[in-house]
This record gives sequence, structure tokens and C-alpha cells, in this order.
Amino acid sequence: MKRDEIIGGVILLIFGVITALLSLQMPIGTFRAAGTGLFPLILAIFLMILSGVFLLNLFLRKKKELGKKEPEMKIHGSARNVILFLGTMALATLFLNPLGYPLVSFLLMVALLRILGMRRWAINILLSLATAAAAYFLFVGWLKIPLPKGWIGI
Amino acid sequence: MIESLQGLINGFGIATTIQNLFYCLMGAIVGTLVGVLPGLGPIAGIALLIPATFGLNPTSAIIMLAGIYYGAMYGGSTTSILLNVPGETASVITCIDGYQMAQKGRAGPALAICAIGSFIAGTIGIFGLVFLAPPLAEAALAFGPPEYFSLMVFGFIVLSNVTGTSLIKSLMMAVVGLIIGTIGIDPVTGDARFSFDFPYLMGGIEFVAVAIGLFGIGEVLVNVERPLEMLEQRVLVPRLRELYPTLQDLKRSIRPILRGAGIGFGVGLIPGPAPVIATYASYMMEKKISKTPEEFGKGAIEGVAGPESANNSACQAAFIPLFVLGIPFAPPTAILLGALLIHGVTPGPMMIGEHPELFWGVIASMYIGNFILLLLNLPFVPFFANILRIPKNILLPLVILFCLTGMYTVNNSVFDIWMMLLFGALGFIMRKWAYEGAPLLLALVLGPKLEAAFRQSLMISHGDFSTFVDRPVSLVFLLGTLIFLAAPLLKPAWRRVQGLRRKAQSA
Repeated sequence: MKRDEIIGGVILLIFGVITALLSLQMPIGTFRAAGTGLFPLILAIFLMILSGVFLLNLFLRKKKELGKKEPEMKIHGSARNVILFLGTMALATLFLNPLGYPLVSFLLMVALLRILGMRRWAINILLSLATAAAAYFLFVGWLKIPLPKGWIGI
Repeated sequence: MIESLQGLINGFGIATTIQNLFYCLMGAIVGTLVGVLPGLGPIAGIALLIPATFGLNPTSAIIMLAGIYYGAMYGGSTTSILLNVPGETASVITCIDGYQMAQKGRAGPALAICAIGSFIAGTIGIFGLVFLAPPLAEAALAFGPPEYFSLMVFGFIVLSNVTGTSLIKSLMMAVVGLIIGTIGIDPVTGDARFSFDFPYLMGGIEFVAVAIGLFGIGEVLVNVERPLEMLEQRVLVPRLRELYPTLQDLKRSIRPILRGAGIGFGVGLIPGPAPVIATYASYMMEKKISKTPEEFGKGAIEGVAGPESANNSACQAAFIPLFVLGIPFAPPTAILLGALLIHGVTPGPMMIGEHPELFWGVIASMYIGNFILLLLNLPFVPFFANILRIPKNILLPLVILFCLTGMYTVNNSVFDIWMMLLFGALGFIMRKWAYEGAPLLLALVLGPKLEAAFRQSLMISHGDFSTFVDRPVSLVFLLGTLIFLAAPLLKPAWRRVQGLRRKAQSA
């Protein structure tokens, strides 16, 4: 857990530094007539201070709590499923325009159901077909939202 | 006073048109669904339905979206009582005694008291809104940029203080949200910031993408990570005739309901996730003044009636800062602010005068909505509870499909979906590392307003920072901010004093 805390703090510190550097490339102006970069610069400085204090606190606490066990709150699960889920969603987004909404929504459902352990293909495909059809009629048929048609053309 | 009543009567005329009644009903149904379904809270729910309001006039749109917010408060209690799973955070407390009541076969009365309490408290909340909003709006007319700036800073600090476990983590999230809010065109000079000549970034980050990503996709991913065995659960659904509470139940509940309504309304006015805090405050109070505190935690009906009433009236009260100041104090109302802006309405002290049909129409619709929810929730509890019988491994893909589709429809933009996925992944990591999404989202929405207030204040004062402390209202907000910042530092010291005192007493 401790390691996660340090990584989180460092990421935020780096984010602050990058924001500050980018802000400095913009006109800063004065407080009376603020330039484009002034407000982001102030925010970046705040973030650097906060993440600095956060990290410092972690190191100070580390010394104090040496030997003390931290309660393990994490539920160990499947990081694999999370990555597969995100990957599938990214693929669906990538192919939304070329393949079209009806096809992509069907394939997305098939894949996500499979990832979550739907073993029987017949049920999976039936469910996905029903969902994709329902979504199509709801969004395109009823709400008249123009969704990408893709190569199947509906 | 008379004007308010007149306004309210006109509001009822607007809210009872067929169209607005329909959208009020839709909001109530969707809100209850969103509240029932764990993993989809009011924030993602409202954000997802914003595109569905594009063809509507602003009044109908806000009537529906507001319905989702307070409807979720009703729905959230159902899962807490039947499953010990809070449908949204404002129902966490209800699990304690509600689930115990269900275990003892008294799920019906618990659900009924929730609905009745929510209705009474919601009604009280609305009356508070009617009579408090207009005078507050008049007072807020005197607010200049320094007051708004200090008020927003105060709001961030209070929200950061009460959400999550770590003040500094929440503050960092607020600053990150503010930084993300600066992406796009600088409203004063017209120069692009952090857009890297990328046309999509010129318009700024779509807040709907952040909301659905952090609170929709992120939540789904957390659920996906859990082992599948945990996804299936059995639901005990009470039959309709088992729902009716006894006279004894009603007698025991009426005072907690009224007290809860009062606490909720008070808490709703101050920054923070009001419904959540209100439930805690109400529970603590009921336990403290109860003659039988030992019953709490074992199925005391007061422990259900009080908090469930409190979260509803807090919900209504939270509309006051949004409508009167134009400054939401928590993410759900921040999303509503975004929706109002999309529909070309800028909430603030002038809104009651400029858009009376919207202001009074929405308030009247809340009253009707509460009534619809009462009718909807009592007889249909078995139906909503049955939704939970859908296995999660089917429900989660459905939520994802809905998020993807909903996100695309906001701007017909695939880039927005990418943003949503990015913030979904971020939301997942933030949850794992115990960072709060609420301060980030609120800061993102309020960021441009905060910057404008900051720059205008300093422009008027010729760069002199004393303008923030010279003006009494602004000074009060800043002092409040200081107190809230110092509170966590003082807590260990206070505990030590308490410990010493206890030691002295026992010695």
C-alpha cells in the first residue's frame, strides 16, 4: 500500500511540474492584468506544494510506523479482467466509425459477456443480439440519434 | 412571501403540463433505477441522460435531470435494506439498521418508512427552498467577484474535508480538476492553453466525459476486478401486503423523520456531499437522543427513518446554492450546472427573475416528483428489487454499452469516448489508491468560474490581494476556509485532551 501512495504522490508532483513548465511558456502578466499562464501556474505551484507535503508526510510516517502492519484493504481480484474490459472498450471505440454502431455494440457485448465468464456461446450471442437490437431501436429508432452506420449501412 | 407563493402556483401550472409530467416521471423512474443499481450513481446517471434532453426546452430538461438526483435517494435505500449493498453513498447508513430489519423479516416496513420519510422530508425541503431561495438571491446580488472567489475556495475546502479519508489527497484532486479545467481557450485573452494545437482540446475537456468516466466506467471496472463469485447474490423480496408499517412503526418514525428533514436541509445548504453527511448526522442524533440506543444496529426503525429523510431534504436544499449563487457544492449539482449551461441558462441571483418558468417549474416538479416516487416506490418495490436479480456479469456489460452510446451522443464525437475511457481508467486507479473523484469533478466544472472571479477581483483592486479580506462577506468565507483547513490538524490534539479528561475521570 505504501508503495502505491508514493507512486501516486510522485505522479501528482510530476504533473504539477509539467503544468508549471508549460504555463511558464505562456504570457504570465501581472496580478493586475493576468496573462493566460498565471492561473495555471498558481495551480501548478499549489499542486507541487501539496504533493511535496504529502510525500514528506509519507516518509516521516514511515519512520514512525516502522514495524507496524497496515491493514490490507485490497480485494484481490482479476486485474486481467479490468485490462481486457478496457482493451475491448478501446477496440470498440476504434472501430465505431468503420464498422458502425449496430455491429460494434453486438461485438462489444459478446466480448464483455465472454470476459465475465459467459461460457455458453448460444446464450451469449442471443443476449448480445437482443441487447444490440434493443439499443439500436432505443437510440436510433426512438430517440433519432445519428449513430455511425459503418459498412453495414443501418 | 406572497410573491414566492404566486411563483410556486405558476410553477405548478408549468410542471403539470403533459410534457413536463412525463419528463418528471421519466426522471423519477431513471433515478430510482440508478439508485437501485450498485455501480451507477446519480452522477453518472444524470451525465448519461444529458444528451437525451437536447431536443427539450430547458425547463423540461432540468425537471427530468433533477428527478434523477432525488429519485436516486429513494432507490438507493432499496438495495441497502434488501441486500446490505448501498445503491449510492447516501444510503450507506441505511444498511446498518435497514438490513437488520430485513433479516428479522421486517423489510417491508423498512422500505415503506423510507419512502414515507423521504416524501415528508422532500416536501419540507421544497418548502424551505421556496421561501429561502428568493431572499438569498436578493442578498447574493451584492456579491462581487471577491465574494464568489472566496465562496468557491470555501466550497472546495469543505468538500475536500468531508469526502474520503485524506484531506490532502482530496485537495490534490481538486487542484488537478482545476488544472484540467484550464485546458482550452482562455476566456479573457482568447489564447489556447494546453491544447497542443489539437483541435479537440481547444474547446476544453468535456465534463460529461469526466463524469461518466470517473463515476460510471471507473465503478464498473472496480466491480469487474472482484472475483465473479461475489457478483451473484440472492434477494429476498417482500410481498406487497407485507409492506405496510404498523401504527407503532409510524409513531416511532415520525419524530426522526421531522428531525432528519431539518438536519438534511441545514446540511444541504453548506458545501459538501450533503446527502451523505446528512445521513450520518441524523443517525448520530437519533442514536444519541434515543431512549433505547442499544437497539441501534439491531434493526431500530429510527435508524432508517431519520437518515433516509435527511438525505432527501438535503437533496432539495442542495439546489439553493446552485440556483441562487450559480455555484454547486457537490458533483450531482455540478453536473446539473453543466446541463443548465448547455441549455443556455446561467444560474445565479438573477435566475429567478430571468427564468421564472424554469425556477418555479422545477421546484413545483420536485413536489410532484416526490409524490410520483412515493407511488412508484411503495407498490413497485418488488419490481425494482427484482432488477437486482439480473446477474452482475450481464449488468456490467449493459452499463458499459450504455455509457459508450450515451457519451457518443453528447457531441457525436469519438474523441469524447476516448476521453471517457481515459478518465474511466483514471477513476479505477483513483479508487484503488483511495483518491476521491468528487473534488476533481466539482473543480473541473467550477474552474473557469473560479479563475474568472480571481482575475476580475484583482483587476478591480489593481492587483491588491487585500480585496479578499477587506470585504466582510469574503472575509467570513476565508475564515471559514481556515477553520476547515485547521480542523484535521487540531483533531489529534483534541482527542488527546479528551483522553486525558477520561483518564482523570476514571482515576
